[in-house]
Amino acid sequence: MLDKDCNENKCAEQIKKTFQTAEVEVKREKRVTVQLRSDLIPPFLSFAKEFMEFKHLSHMSCVDWVEDNELELVFILWNYEQQVQIIAKTRIERVNAQFVSVKKFWNQAETYEREFHEMYGVNFVGNDRLGEFILEDWEGVPPMLRDFDSIKYSKETFYQRPGREDAQNVRATIAKHSGEEVPGFAKDYTIRNIED
Amino acid sequence: MAFDLKGILTPFAALSQGTKPPHTVKYPAEQKETAHRYRGMHHNDLEECIGCGTCSTICQNGAIDMIHIDGYETNNGDSGLRPRVDNGRCCWCALCVDVCPTGSLNLTSDYIYVTEDPDSFLWTPGVDNAKDGKEKLSWQSSEGKRLLDYERVPMKELEGTERVKSFAEVVLGYTEDEARKEADRCIACGICTDICPVHMHIPEYINAIARGEDDDAVRIIYDNNPLGEMCGKVCTRRCETTCAINHKGDPVAIRWLKEYVTARVKNADVIKEILNPDIAEPNGHSVGIIGAGPSGLTAAYYLALKGFDVTIYESKAHAGGMIMYGIPKYRLPLDSIDKQVDYMLSIGVKIKYNTKVGTDITFNELKEKHEAIMIGIGFEVPYPIGLTGEDAKGSIQAVNFLYNINSGINVDIGDKVAVIGGGNVAIDAARVSKRMGAEVTILYRRRVEDMPADWEEIEGAEHENVIIHPQAIPLEVISDENGKVTGVKYANAEMIADDKGGRPRPKIIEGDEHILPLTTLIGAIGQEADYSFIPDDIKEQIEISRGRIVVDENQATALPWLFATGDIANRQADAISAIADGYRAVKSIEKLLLKK
Amino acid sequence: MREKETTLYLGPQHPGITGNMMVKLKVAGDTIVKAETHVGYLHRAFEKLMENRTWTQCFPIVCRICVPEPDPNEENLARAIEEIEGREVPERAKYIRVMVLELARLASYQLWMGGQSGSMGLYTMPQWTVGDRDYILDLFEELTGGRIYHMYIWAGGVRRDLPDGLKGRVLNVLKYLENRLPDYDKLMFQNAMFRKRAEGVGIIPKEKAIEWGVVGSPLRGCGIKHDVRIDEPYEVYDKLEFEVPTHEGNDIWSRAMVRRQEIEQSISIIRQVLDKMPEGEYYNKIPNPLNWTIPAGDAFVKTESVRGEFGYYVVSDGSDKPRRVHVRGPAYVHGVTVLEEILKGANISDVSFIMNSLGTCPPEIER
Repeated sequence: MLDKDCNENKCAEQIKKTFQTAEVEVKREKRVTVQLRSDLIPPFLSFAKEFMEFKHLSHMSCVDWVEDNELELVFILWNYEQQVQIIAKTRIERVNAQFVSVKKFWNQAETYEREFHEMYGVNFVGNDRLGEFILEDWEGVPPMLRDFDSIKYSKETFYQRPGREDAQNVRATIAKHSGEEVPGFAKDYTIRNIED
Repeated sequence: MAFDLKGILTPFAALSQGTKPPHTVKYPAEQKETAHRYRGMHHNDLEECIGCGTCSTICQNGAIDMIHIDGYETNNGDSGLRPRVDNGRCCWCALCVDVCPTGSLNLTSDYIYVTEDPDSFLWTPGVDNAKDGKEKLSWQSSEGKRLLDYERVPMKELEGTERVKSFAEVVLGYTEDEARKEADRCIACGICTDICPVHMHIPEYINAIARGEDDDAVRIIYDNNPLGEMCGKVCTRRCETTCAINHKGDPVAIRWLKEYVTARVKNADVIKEILNPDIAEPNGHSVGIIGAGPSGLTAAYYLALKGFDVTIYESKAHAGGMIMYGIPKYRLPLDSIDKQVDYMLSIGVKIKYNTKVGTDITFNELKEKHEAIMIGIGFEVPYPIGLTGEDAKGSIQAVNFLYNINSGINVDIGDKVAVIGGGNVAIDAARVSKRMGAEVTILYRRRVEDMPADWEEIEGAEHENVIIHPQAIPLEVISDENGKVTGVKYANAEMIADDKGGRPRPKIIEGDEHILPLTTLIGAIGQEADYSFIPDDIKEQIEISRGRIVVDENQATALPWLFATGDIANRQADAISAIADGYRAVKSIEKLLLKK
Repeated sequence: MREKETTLYLGPQHPGITGNMMVKLKVAGDTIVKAETHVGYLHRAFEKLMENRTWTQCFPIVCRICVPEPDPNEENLARAIEEIEGREVPERAKYIRVMVLELARLASYQLWMGGQSGSMGLYTMPQWTVGDRDYILDLFEELTGGRIYHMYIWAGGVRRDLPDGLKGRVLNVLKYLENRLPDYDKLMFQNAMFRKRAEGVGIIPKEKAIEWGVVGSPLRGCGIKHDVRIDEPYEVYDKLEFEVPTHEGNDIWSRAMVRRQEIEQSISIIRQVLDKMPEGEYYNKIPNPLNWTIPAGDAFVKTESVRGEFGYYVVSDGSDKPRRVHVRGPAYVHGVTVLEEILKGANISDVSFIMNSLGTCPPEIER
C-alpha cells in the first residue's frame, strides 16, 4: 500500500486539481497514468514540465487501436527529484490523424514525431522535419498501422526461394490419414492452421 | 592545457605487451572447443520424434518445415513427418528444443557450415547429420526447464474409505479453473485424433475449453460423438496414451476435460439449446436398430438429424446397453445416461423398450418395417469359468451381477467374495461387492501389469482395499452339502518366458494349492453374443466368425441392408469403438438409402 | 571572409561507430555548420515483427536490436511482461539477471574503449579490448549457449541455471580484466593525445542536459548524478552497493572518466552478486507458450545500459501477441537531436569521436 502523502499520490492530486477531466490512476509505486483529452496534452506537458518538475521526456509512443478507429499517443515523463513516472495518454482520430507538435517543450520530441508521421501517418502541426526518415521511397500504407500486412508485403516484395513447397501441416496430415473431417466452426479453435 | 610529458610517455608502456604470449587462438587455426550448452546446428532423434510439429509452430523465423522422409509413415502416435530446418533463417534460439515434448530435438556443438549452394541450407536434422550428430549434442532440453507443462492438474476423488460406503460417483470432476489450466497444457498437435476410433476433434475442443468457450467445446464434441459425457467418464481414452506430452510427462487429461465440459450442461433441454441442431426434414426412409447401446444410440442420433425415421429396439427397460447395465453407477451415474438419451429422444429418435427381437417381435417383421437394419446387441452372455462345481449356488457371473445391481435388484453375496478375471468387468464386480460390505479378492492368472483393466480402475480397487491376488489359477469350486459355494481352490503360478516371443505364461507351481473360503464366487472371464434371434436363412447369407459378425470398413455385412456395430463387429470391446462403428454405419446407410 | 559551405556525407558504412548510419554535414572549412542524422540502413521492423509473433517468440528477436549489449533488451521485455502480468521472478533469477546485465556492460565498455580510441586513430586499443571482451563472451557462451545473442533472459526468470564452476571462472575473468585496467590507463586514459582530443570537445551544456534527454554517462559527465539503477532500482540493484561516478566538464573527456570508473563499479557489482546469489529456482514457468496470453495493460520499464536509460514500452490487448512493443534506446535521442546540436561548430575530424562518446547506435534509432 502506498502512503497517502507519497509523491505518487501528490502528483495525482495536483493533476486532478488542474485538469479536471483527466482520469488519473496511481498504478503502483512510482507509476502514475493519466488519460487526457487530446487538446489538453500540450497544456498538460507544459504544466508537468514547468510546475511539476517532470523535466525528462523518457519516451513517446504511438499505439494503433484499429478496432476503435483511433490512435493512442503516449508521453512518458520522469521526475528525477521525486522519482515518479507519468504515462500520459490520449486518443486521436486514426484517419487523417493530426496532432500538434510538442517539440517546443522537448526538442527530441521532433524525432518521435518524424517517426510517427512516417510509421503511423500522424501529421504533427508545427514540426517542419516531417518526411522521409527511416524508410526510403515508401508509398504504401504507413507500415506500423495494424492494417498493413507485413507478411503479405514480404511475400509480394521478396523472392521466395523455392524448395520448401513440400512442407506439410501436421494436423491436416493426421486428419487426412484418419479420415477425420474437422467442421468449419471447430477450425476457429485449431491453434495451428489446418488448411495451409 | 600544460605540456603533459608523462601523458606522452606512458602509452609506450604498451610496448611491454610485445613480450607477452598472444591471447589469440593458435596458428594454424584450430577449431575452438564450444561450451557444453553451445547452441549449434540441430540434431533430431528420428526414432524418438513423433512429428508433432511443435518445433515448427514455435519457430519465430518460420525456419522449420514438417516434411515426409522415407521410412516414416503416419500411424498411431506419430504423424510420420519430421522437421527440416532452413539454416538460412534459423537464429539458433533453441525455442524448438525447449518446447520439444519428446526431447528428440536438440542442438549440437557444430557451428561451421559453409556452402556455395543456397538451396543446401535446407537441412534435415538427424538425416543430414545422421552420422555423428548424436555424439555432439550440446544445448539439450533435458538440461533446463521445459517450456511445456508436464504435470497434470490432479483430479479430486472421494477417499477410498469414503467411496465403499455408497455408490456415489468417485471422481469429483474438474472445477472451471482446473479445467482451464489443464486444457492450457495441450499443444494442439492432433496426434491423439488418429488413435481415437471416432477421430474426435480433440485439439479443437480442448482449445475451446482453454479459451473459456465451453459451449463451443460441447458443439465440437457432438460433431461426431453424441455420448461425450459418457466417454468423459468411462472412455478407455487411447488418445491419452498417444498424447505428445505423455512422452516426458503426464498426458493431457483429455477424458476429464470432456467430462468437465459435458457434465456441466444440466439437462437435455440445455444440450439442445447449446447445440441448436439443424434437423433435416423427414426423408421418408426408415431404419431399425437392434440394441440401444453406444453404437445404436450414435447411429440413431445422426440418422435422426439427417431426417431418417429411426426406431431402436431395446430388450431392457433402459437405454445404454453395457454402459447402463455393465458399468457401476459410481463410474457412470444413471442421470447422466438419462440426460444424454433424453436429448436424443428430443430430436426424434424413437426407442422401443422391453422389446426383445426374436421374442417380442421377429426379425422378419423388422425387415418388413425398415429399409435398413443395424445390429448392435453387444456381448451379454458370459463365458462359463470352466471349473468343476461351477453350478453351485453362490457361483455367479459378473455381467448378471452388475445387471441386477444396476437394475436395483438386491443380490445377497455374503461377506467373502472372490472375482475371477482381470478385465474392467472383474474390477467393476469387485468394487461393487466392496460397496456391499464384502471382503473381496480378485484372482488373476497373470501379473498385475498384464491385467487388461485400466490402471486407474486397478488403482481405484486397491485404494478401496480390494485384495488383488495375481498369478493365481483357480482349480475347483468347493461347495457344501446344500450345493452352496464355500470356497475356491486355486494354485499359485510362476511366470514362464514364452519361447515364441509372446507374453510370459503362468505355470502352476506343483503343490502350492490353497483354498479361499467364500460366500460368493463371481466369474468375469469374458462374454459372447446371442445370435439366436437371427433367422437361419439370413445367418447363412452373412458370415459369423469367432463369435463376431464379419463386416467391411463401412460396417456392412454381406447383405446390403444389414449392418453390424459394436462388440459384435469389432475386437476393441469398448464404448468408443462402438460409437465409431455407429458413426460409420450412418454414412453407409445414408449412402445406401439416399444413393449419395 | 566567410568560407564557402560544402556538404559532406559521413557514412553510411560504419562512420567510426558500430552500426550503419550517415551524418550529412554542412561544413565551412573543417568546421561543421549544420549536421543532420540520416538513418534507414538497419531498419528491420522488429517492432512490427513482434506484433505478428506470440509473446514467447518475441524473445529471440529483441536481442538483435543491440549487438554490443543485447541483454537490456531481453531484460526489459521480460520485466515489462512481468509487470503487466504480475508474474513473480525467483530471487536467484534476479541475481543471475544482474550478473548478465553487468557482464554485458563490461563487454560493452570494452567495445566502447576500442571504438573511442579507434576513432582518434589509437588502433592498439581496439585490438586489446576486442580480445579481452572475448573472455566475457566465453562466459556468456558457457552460461547462455550463445556468444553475442544470448536469448537467455525471458519472462519469469532465466532459461538455464548457472553451470557448475561458472562462479569461479567469472571471478577469474574479473580478476584478469581488473589487472588489465592499468594497461588501458597507460595506453588510453592517461594518454596526452587522448586528453588533448577529448577535453573541451563535444560539450553538452549542463543546464540543457536533462531537457535534451541526455542520459547515462553523458549525463553523469555533466556532473549530474542520475542512474536508473539508483533512481528506480530493478531486479536486485537495491541490495547491492555501488557508486555512481560523475565528472564535471560536459565533454568527451568527462564521459570517458565516468565510464572508466564505472568499469570498476561493474566488476564490484558482479562480485557482490556472486557472493549474495541465493540457491533456489531460476525460472517461474509461464503457461503453455502456444496459448500464453497477457492481460490487457501497458508498462514502461527501463534499465541502465552502458549508453544510458534503455526503455521498453509494451502494450498488451489481452491476446497472445503484443499490441505494441516500442523500444527506446538512448541513441534515439543522443544520435539525432543531441548529436545534431553539439556537432555545430565541431571539427570534422571529431565527428566520429563525438558520436562514440555519446554511444550512438543506429539500430536503436530505427530498430
